[in-house]
Amino acid sequence: MTRFRAAAVWMAMGMIALAATFAIAQTPKSGGHLNVMLREDLPQGFAVHETATVSTSFPSMPCFNNLVIFDQLKRTESVETLVGELAEKWSWQDNYRNLVFFLRKNVKWHDGHLFTSKDVKFTFDMLREAPEAQAKLRINPRKDWYANVEAVEAADPHTVVFRLKRPQPSLLMMFASGYTPIYAAHVPPASYRTGCIGTGPFKVKEWRKGEYADYVKNPDYFVKGRPYLDSLRYVVIENRGTRISALQAGKLDIAFPGETSKTASEQLKKAVPQLVVTPVGQMVTDNIIMNVKKPPFDNVKVRLAVSHAIDRRGLIQAVHQGGAVVGASLAPKPWGIWGIAEQGLQALPGYGKLADEKATAKKMMAELGYTPEKPLKVEIGTRAIAIYVDMASFVINELKQIGIEATLKQVETAQWHPMATRGDYQIGANLTGLGVDDPDANFYENYACGSPRNYSQYCNEVVMKMIEQQSQELHPQKRLEMVLALQKKLEEEAPRPILDWRLDYFTVWPHVHNMIPHNDIYNFGRMQDVWRDK
Amino acid sequence: MKTYLAQRLGIAALTLFGMSLVIFALLRLAPGDIVDILFSTGGYVNPSERAAIEKELGLDRPLWAQYLEWIRNLFVGDLGKSYRYDLPAWEIIRPLIPVTVELAVLSLIIAVALGVPTGVISAVRQDTTLDYALRIVSLAGLSMPSFWLAMVIILVLVAWIGWIPPVTYVSPFQNFPLHCVQFLLPALAVGYRSSALMMRITRSALLEVMREDYIRTARAKGQGERHVIWSHALKNAILPVVTVIGIEFAFLIGGLVVTETVFNLPGVARFLVQAILWRDYPIVQNLVMFIAIVVIVSNLVVDMLYGVLDPRVRYAG
Repeated sequence: MTRFRAAAVWMAMGMIALAATFAIAQTPKSGGHLNVMLREDLPQGFAVHETATVSTSFPSMPCFNNLVIFDQLKRTESVETLVGELAEKWSWQDNYRNLVFFLRKNVKWHDGHLFTSKDVKFTFDMLREAPEAQAKLRINPRKDWYANVEAVEAADPHTVVFRLKRPQPSLLMMFASGYTPIYAAHVPPASYRTGCIGTGPFKVKEWRKGEYADYVKNPDYFVKGRPYLDSLRYVVIENRGTRISALQAGKLDIAFPGETSKTASEQLKKAVPQLVVTPVGQMVTDNIIMNVKKPPFDNVKVRLAVSHAIDRRGLIQAVHQGGAVVGASLAPKPWGIWGIAEQGLQALPGYGKLADEKATAKKMMAELGYTPEKPLKVEIGTRAIAIYVDMASFVINELKQIGIEATLKQVETAQWHPMATRGDYQIGANLTGLGVDDPDANFYENYACGSPRNYSQYCNEVVMKMIEQQSQELHPQKRLEMVLALQKKLEEEAPRPILDWRLDYFTVWPHVHNMIPHNDIYNFGRMQDVWRDK
Repeated sequence: MKTYLAQRLGIAALTLFGMSLVIFALLRLAPGDIVDILFSTGGYVNPSERAAIEKELGLDRPLWAQYLEWIRNLFVGDLGKSYRYDLPAWEIIRPLIPVTVELAVLSLIIAVALGVPTGVISAVRQDTTLDYALRIVSLAGLSMPSFWLAMVIILVLVAWIGWIPPVTYVSPFQNFPLHCVQFLLPALAVGYRSSALMMRITRSALLEVMREDYIRTARAKGQGERHVIWSHALKNAILPVVTVIGIEFAFLIGGLVVTETVFNLPGVARFLVQAILWRDYPIVQNLVMFIAIVVIVSNLVVDMLYGVLDPRVRYAG
């Protein structure tokens, strides 16, 4: 018994010692510097509101704050993971018609001015292009996100009220995106193209064009004890091989979101086993856009044949070496929260058994009078970038098997979006990124009548009604059911069949802590809680 | 001499004028402009916003007016404003020039230091094992593109020793040894190819000269072989090598795109490619004009050097 007691005491002491060691090892340390990868120089500088690319949002994140943000320490994003930033708390009022934010006091901009509700009103009036807006953005890619905001009122210096035309629970999600920082009212929006006055944990020290962006710790940051790091450098490396080599050699501590493919991560792990690789969703899809206003894709049967013909799983293996997953217009679990699960996909065009899908596609084309011997000739447009061209080449081969002979037209980046927006194409191989994993952000942007990013020019009153209904639904489960039905409908109409959801194998060195990648490349990187132990 | 120089400068001015027209026209002929690229980063296009930006940047004016404004500003030393960065173009271009010039000069030094002596040795030891070995090395240098060599260097370094040179520019005033390390590898990659060219030119020019009567005379007078080669033969064989050095320098100023990209050096060529992709007309136009000036000046310097190196050369107006 005594021996047993002694053993128990020793065991308890050992566990305490182990726990203490673990606690010491995990206690964040202040100080230090980190080098972060950038794949290209910041397009439009820090002017996040004037771009829709992670090349701007990610390196700008440390400068800014939002009203609310997705918890930077949690991988999955949802209403449950929202935390306050410039807003201490918030409340829905008047049956979700008014959203009230109670702002933090004594928050300072990097130039010493005090942050108030005027800054919030300034930012959102500018974004929604309200008649009373004090400033105008020269490009405003996310105006549609705020179409339901009727007015923004600065009730007092620390309270701001958003009055909505109708209930829209999704609005909070969009406020939490990396694309929704608060701009300073006393600074012209154009100045963010060359510098950054934010309230964020880091101040921009220097931006050497084409080389790097340097940040230093903001000593006046409103969260006491944060940030942990003294400085950050975002290093621009345009060559992919050099980027990966720099990460492997330790010249970079953190990879760029969406930049590490499965193959690259495997090679990195093999070379440096201690590297930490985390597979996450990118919230980026490969998709086919078909111009529903022009023949032959104004015929739903042709669109469906295309959708049936493309072997999604084959594409994932051939083009992404397994680094992507199948899903409809919203990301499936665990990479997203709204997508149709694998089981539900089986019944949708293109997701069933390969032989059956191909046979269905062939039959549909044959009914229209086209066979592999007497094919329908079309031109498939895509951006002249490898990631687009690889996908388009795979699709061309798939279409050939069912009687569609597609010739590839590579379009330069400068021409791609004008061409797609004008609808000056028949069929295209496209990539789409979602700023937030939210039905409103996706459906209004990519499927709503008249949206400039609805490249298919698809407009269906029934679908519009379904979009509006789900947007107003307050009950989460009911809304999920509506969203699932909407996704099913979209795949059946096939204006923009989704081929896959890309994964990222986000890589950091083990001395980097609290750099948690999210299942959406656009919404992490604030760097407030990141620390290093080397 | 003065008349010749004036004539050359006149031709240079005409060449630059022609270049300005060509680069201006070619840029406008390329599909898309900066406004398309800006909207590309937004993922949509709005015609009214588009028109407003075109007006803001002066792209709505007739082409001849845009051209004249550029030339007028050039004469008063105003390079315009970068469309992409919203900053004076000179502020962007200025830091790029020393990086590229340093890399080009260093590459040429390596090329000359490797190419000329090996060319001499190869010529003197014609058809020996050493000659064959050096010719194989030089042929390999000519066959391997410098960008490929640059990538191989990076990959081998990272795979073998887990190290690569700094990925951000290190100023010589900040850390001279590290600066040298940063430039030495790309300079070696570029210089090796150029050295191969120089070795072959030196070898063939020297072999030709070595058969001349005055070389036989020098030897007959009892002069040492080393003196004959270095003082008599090489002096007369060096003119084609100088020509190649001039051409190589001019080429390197604008032709280091991939080397600068692979080694992540912030130089002219790498930035020029980005500026072209962004249709940043003020940056592209002025950088191309800078490269054209370098080409013209280096050719002029080479022509002037002929007179210094070979007293038989006379400049006629």
